[in-house]
Amino acid sequence: MDSSNDEALDIIVTNVVATFRTRCHLNLRTIALEGTNVIYKPEVGKVLMKLRKPKITASIWSSGKIICTGATSEDEAKLGARRLARCLQKLGFKVRFSAFKVVNVLAVCSMPFAVHLIDFTKNNRPIASFNVTCCSLLVFLLLFCAHIRSSVPPSVALGPNVQNVATAVEEVYPLLFECKKPLCK
Amino acid sequence: KQPNTNSERYEKSTAKLYLSIIDDVIDSMRELFLDEGLEDRVLDDLRHLWESKMMQSKAMEDFRKNNINSSNFVLQLPATSVVIPASQNIHSFPVKASTLATFSLPAALAYPVQIPAGVTLQTASGQLYKVNVPVVVTQAPASQQPVSHLAQKATERREAPASQPAAVQPHPILPHEAEPSSVPASSVTQPKTSLAPSQESCLPQLPPEPEGMLAETEPSPQPEPVNLSVTASPCAQLSDFHNSAEEALTQLDLDYNYSDLSDIVQLDGPADNSDLEEGDEVPLEENDFLGIINAEDPLNSGDDVIEQDIPDLFDTDNVIVCQYDKIHRSKNRWKFHLKDGVMCYGGRDYVFSKAVGEAEW
Repeated sequence: MDSSNDEALDIIVTNVVATFRTRCHLNLRTIALEGTNVIYKPEVGKVLMKLRKPKITASIWSSGKIICTGATSEDEAKLGARRLARCLQKLGFKVRFSAFKVVNVLAVCSMPFAVHLIDFTKNNRPIASFNVTCCSLLVFLLLFCAHIRSSVPPSVALGPNVQNVATAVEEVYPLLFECKKPLCK
Repeated sequence: KQPNTNSERYEKSTAKLYLSIIDDVIDSMRELFLDEGLEDRVLDDLRHLWESKMMQSKAMEDFRKNNINSSNFVLQLPATSVVIPASQNIHSFPVKASTLATFSLPAALAYPVQIPAGVTLQTASGQLYKVNVPVVVTQAPASQQPVSHLAQKATERREAPASQPAAVQPHPILPHEAEPSSVPASSVTQPKTSLAPSQESCLPQLPPEPEGMLAETEPSPQPEPVNLSVTASPCAQLSDFHNSAEEALTQLDLDYNYSDLSDIVQLDGPADNSDLEEGDEVPLEENDFLGIINAEDPLNSGDDVIEQDIPDLFDTDNVIVCQYDKIHRSKNRWKFHLKDGVMCYGGRDYVFSKAVGEAEW
């Protein structure tokens, strides 16, 4: 998953968000009382269930929709989701694991150079937008969004799946390269 | 000896609180009992049972400290046996030729006490136990519960129920360990083979159970303020004991007995077991009906989806029952602000009006 061109950039996926459905109504109270490692949030109408093994947190709604966060890879997200569905099945619900979809991937990538944000914004006007208050930069490419901070701290990329994020970083890299700051800050 | 550690002070105040609760309840029941036509004696028995059960479950320290004079042990020895001095572990003793020798063990007895065979033990409440084999009396760590006690004493006191083969597995017995009422919290000092598994799987319940329940289930009355543990030297006795333990327990009408569950008749629903063997039948139906959807459903229970490892490192008996002021969590750090509750930790009860805690998940 590394960017091809020059050096290999380390793209570290920090969060994968996925959803799936159980195709059955879930009684939140039952889950809250009998499930393990659950947090009931009646005011919002959901139950959080945390798993240790793939370290994920799932938000469970009574409609049967479940959002799974915290995984570090797409496979892990799927595994975690299935384990979760299994837990619910064991609680007595007629769970059918379906409509699994990774909806969001968050990755962190460190550029080996600092970037001149203002220049970058000027050069890439339509897709880049500079946020003065945060002193950071948002780049919107076709299917993803990159959040770039000015100097050494890593940039953050957000996309619908990991491959996409990798591609995104690749695409942004040259653009960033153009506006890189000289080494001596 | 004054209680000078925190836990000892806790013990004292908890014991006081519990005793006062018992007093209140008993007193307020007095009229009711009389109205129902029950003798006062019944109420007193109830109080006795309750107190003794309660005492067993917590450490006995406090009670003893309060009653230095009265002992919990009265050893009655038949003429032919030996007298056991209070302050030692026993080895050999002079034989008293004459009549019964009664001996009281003082409260501050140093455990464990070894008692040779043929001795009759009488507890403070007057129950007699004839011991046929050498016995070691230890102080129960208060976190252990019955099973074992039934041992040798069962030979004399209990009429082992006629049939009732020991088909019960140790686990189902657990939830009702506390029920064998008068059974003292005893521990086996040297767990032998058949004892060990049931002993380890013993999970004690929270202390006092209302005596009313007990009176019904147990025909033979056995109040036991005293912790007795029994180790039998001859191994042959163990299997008897194990059987009698199970027999005695199956005698109690326990709901949790898993073998009983199989008697429940299923009135409707498919004839399968509770482990959902999902995936196969239902999605097919769905597909017929709705045409498409995701046919890739199969939650092959067990195959793909392995179950959560370490689900029950939670089989603990340390529980807190209370109200909460505030419970807060940040990522996996939890902070608890609790109030008005009881904590059962390590077999002991600690009552609190405020408790603050932190934990990491």
